[in-house]
Amino acid sequence: MLSERELDRYKRQILLFGEEGQEKLKKAKIFIAGAGGLGSPISIYLAVAGIGTITIVDMDVVERTNLNRQILHYDRDIGKKKTVSAEEKLREINPDITIKAIDTMIDETNVARLVGSSSGIVDAMDNFPTRYLLNETAVKKKIPLFHGAIRGLYGQATTIIPGVTPCLKCIFPKAPPKEVFPVVGVTPGFIGMVQATEVIKYLIRDGRLLTGRLFIWDGLEAHAEEICVERDPKCPVCGGSHTPARRSVKAPVKAPVRKKK
Amino acid sequence: MTVKVRFFARFRELLGTDILVEKKSGTTVAALVKEIAEKKKEGYNAIFDEKGNFHEFVIVMRNGKRLEPAETTTVKVTDGDEIAVFPPVAGG
Repeated sequence: MLSERELDRYKRQILLFGEEGQEKLKKAKIFIAGAGGLGSPISIYLAVAGIGTITIVDMDVVERTNLNRQILHYDRDIGKKKTVSAEEKLREINPDITIKAIDTMIDETNVARLVGSSSGIVDAMDNFPTRYLLNETAVKKKIPLFHGAIRGLYGQATTIIPGVTPCLKCIFPKAPPKEVFPVVGVTPGFIGMVQATEVIKYLIRDGRLLTGRLFIWDGLEAHAEEICVERDPKCPVCGGSHTPARRSVKAPVKAPVRKKK
Repeated sequence: MTVKVRFFARFRELLGTDILVEKKSGTTVAALVKEIAEKKKEGYNAIFDEKGNFHEFVIVMRNGKRLEPAETTTVKVTDGDEIAVFPPVAGG
């Protein structure tokens, strides 16, 4: 049940998806991997939208060089653990939800435990090795993975529904090279909003998800594209022995129906 | 025949995009992209490795359909084809 306070707080979006939709958001547990450029706007917007439980994981300390994009952290937070800074802000932003901030490095020994029984995993990482770990966990647990990545003024996003859509490894079999990537805050802001919108749509079961499609944003050109992506039957993560998971996915996922050209 | 090559993101910055090429039939996708990329060393190096193969992370599409790295050197372009070359990004 939503409290009077909650009915008031979410009044304008209840107009959009009803109290029933709001209840769905309240019941949801979303796991956000990373409290950096993508994790900041994603966690802020999911918090204000009233996602009942948000777990956010990061291992870093706030540095001055983070502040051009990691809007959860302020100048006064330099030197503080990102999880401490994130928890503080998100609690203030919305005291009606539960925030769990975990200060750790996501690795193969803890990823399954950290993700637990989340309703969705948000990829707000800055590297592919950890993304692949999240992907494997998502596929094993049949939990949706909301992917996003950025560089400079470019970004990409897609929604992965295990068993239905290609997994991250099908789409990106090989990781792009590691680098200190250039970035201006608006790009993770933009891509983070695509991911957060997908999370909300998935939870309230509305709209057409970014499934089977890779969204590509070119901020320099102010141009968005999408390319169709397909499952790789030989994928080492989701291919081969995989059983169609339509039944086990909670949302009435509208699998991408695409006309072949 | 005419083939269109589209580069995305950094590749576009380096090489331009929506490049129309007049070609005789028999050219492979890899050869076509290589010919365009060779005009600018930095662009070439961003897309191809020292052996002249596509970097393994580069996504190559022909008419909206992904090509495997091996296919790029065997699949031949045909009139009206659209080849897209895209670099995934990794930051967050």
